[in-house]
Amino acid sequence: MTFTDWVAQAENYVFLAIAIPMLFSAWRVVASQNVVHSVLYLVGALAGSAALFLLLGSEFVAWTVVLVYIGAVVVLFLFGIMITRAPLGQDVELSQPLRQRLPAAVVSGSLFLLMTGAMFDAFGGDVIPETEATRTFDVGISIFERWVIPFEVVSVILLAALVGGIVLARRDPDEMTEEVVSESEEVPQ
Amino acid sequence: MNIDYHALAPEIILALTVVAVLVVDLLPVEKFWTAVVGLGGLFLSFIPVLTLGFCESLEFCDDTGVRVLFGDSYVVDTFSLVLKGVFLGGAFISILLSVGYLESDRFWQGEYYFLLLSSALGAVVLASSRDLITLFVGLELVTGPTFLMAGWRKGDARSNEAALKFFIIGVISAAILLFGMSLVYGVTGETTFTGIRLASAGIVDQPLFTMGVVFTLLGFAFKVSAVPFHFWTPDTYEGAPTPVTAYLSVVSKAAGFVGLLVLCYLAFAELRNIWGAALWILAALSMTVGNLIALKQTNVVRLLGYSSIAQGGFMLVPFGAAVTAGASPAQLEDAFFATVTYLLIYAFMNLGAFAVVIAVRNRLVTAEMDAWGGLYNYAPGLATMLAIFFLSLAGVPPLAGWFAKLVMFRSALSIGGGWAIALAVIAVLNAVIGFAYYAKVVKAAWFDPIPEAIPADELRGRSIVPSLQFALGLTVVAVVLLGFFPDVIARLGDLTTGFVSGF
Repeated sequence: MTFTDWVAQAENYVFLAIAIPMLFSAWRVVASQNVVHSVLYLVGALAGSAALFLLLGSEFVAWTVVLVYIGAVVVLFLFGIMITRAPLGQDVELSQPLRQRLPAAVVSGSLFLLMTGAMFDAFGGDVIPETEATRTFDVGISIFERWVIPFEVVSVILLAALVGGIVLARRDPDEMTEEVVSESEEVPQ
Repeated sequence: MNIDYHALAPEIILALTVVAVLVVDLLPVEKFWTAVVGLGGLFLSFIPVLTLGFCESLEFCDDTGVRVLFGDSYVVDTFSLVLKGVFLGGAFISILLSVGYLESDRFWQGEYYFLLLSSALGAVVLASSRDLITLFVGLELVTGPTFLMAGWRKGDARSNEAALKFFIIGVISAAILLFGMSLVYGVTGETTFTGIRLASAGIVDQPLFTMGVVFTLLGFAFKVSAVPFHFWTPDTYEGAPTPVTAYLSVVSKAAGFVGLLVLCYLAFAELRNIWGAALWILAALSMTVGNLIALKQTNVVRLLGYSSIAQGGFMLVPFGAAVTAGASPAQLEDAFFATVTYLLIYAFMNLGAFAVVIAVRNRLVTAEMDAWGGLYNYAPGLATMLAIFFLSLAGVPPLAGWFAKLVMFRSALSIGGGWAIALAVIAVLNAVIGFAYYAKVVKAAWFDPIPEAIPADELRGRSIVPSLQFALGLTVVAVVLLGFFPDVIARLGDLTTGFVSGF
């Protein structure tokens, strides 16, 4: 595909309109000095990826990203930050010294160049074929037929994470009996 | 859709057991019964593994050969059945090791067995997965619960550190693995291993495919704690409750190796030069670094941590030897056989070594080697078993470990070529270094004087709980008998090589 072809297609402008703000918010996620701002920029980055999936006709994936990541995971992040009483304002400890930044920049920069080169080598001239949008109906059928084992296994993972998470977060039985007594007498602050 | 329920019976029974443990935990009975239900469930799910394995000689079983389910993504063949047996057995012994430990202090017991069994379920699924998605999800079910189990001593800062380190490294490695898998899928357009193998024939030179394969291997290198991706291992092994360490070093590590085996020999069979070279380096580094650091350890659990890194390196040797371009299908089969056999024997001897450590710590609390001096004088049985397991890990005949090392060297030497021979030489040197530190522990227990600091009442017989006795008995018998009759394990290993050249 030549550059003139690229310019002639309307989808590419939509792509740029999504990708540029997405890149910006992804950059702010890591560069922001404030944890809460980082999380809010993450919403932007995730929303951008959902929009890209919509553009590719994968409705189900797009709405899953919205529901699961933006809806649940980000809210969980905010809850986590607030419950652990992390400092909500500027956090100077987030900025690393130069001797850590420099190697990190070299590694990530060279990885980026390598990946970009390899991606262009593999898919450089390809045109994404025009396909119909994937129907959620088909996704559902394939999850419960061909992918039923991973589906069930994921449910066990979630159950295990839930049970184990509760155990780690709870007070131990012996502490608990003492705490229950003291808590009932405690005057709320 | 027709589902072959016989083929899925081990998984289904284990999944029901997982739920049953949670239900029993709710009932007003002793928490001890959750362990009994777990052990019973593991035993029950082992029965269909046997009926599937001996299908041709059973009347009620319609022999369909290799059972392929869900569009090539889930396969029940002899490889998966043998490995399922190892995972179920490993989980069984791990539960036996845990019972006394959990009873000794206030632990959440029902939830612990629930997590251990869920993790074992993941390993059983993993053994059959022939598909990137099933493999990844299975691997996550293996590791997910172990993050939590590593932090089970909630009041102990070391245990918290163990869990946190393991968790952070674990999720990063999962991300790298998934990124690699997504590249492989992007380039080949396939998720099933047979599909990837067929599609890869034309694109072996593509850089993006190579990167996908390398990232996938790196993800697994974290899981099997190969050097230089091993930094989490010693701290996690030392800080986690010892039965969890035993589980991690055997079942969780074996799960990583199963993933490597099916990926390398099935999905990436056309890219032997890439994974062979990558795993050659990892094997040489893991053996050398693991052994050299183990030499300096004074804590037996930490020593076993580094020893398991080094043992992982020995298991990687046949992979690394396969880099030789002219290797014939029969030689590759032999390399595959060597890794599986090493894994089978390692599972028994390492679980046994940890069983001894748990039994000794039951008396002495500490795992510092100095405090173990003169163990033979007041606990001759334990000292004997310690010698059996540690010498077996060192590879001393006639204990089972020698056969593991033998098949490993044989595969590397029979493939031949400069690189394979060089790796075999490195392995020989490391076997010698390994002997030094295993023998050091044995020497401390047998010949050193009892340290004066240890109060006399600790030395008086404190009985070992029956479950731990049972675990010790099982592993001792296995390690000694397999050393004398290695053809039993060789037969099992032989059965697994079906898909290496049968394509």
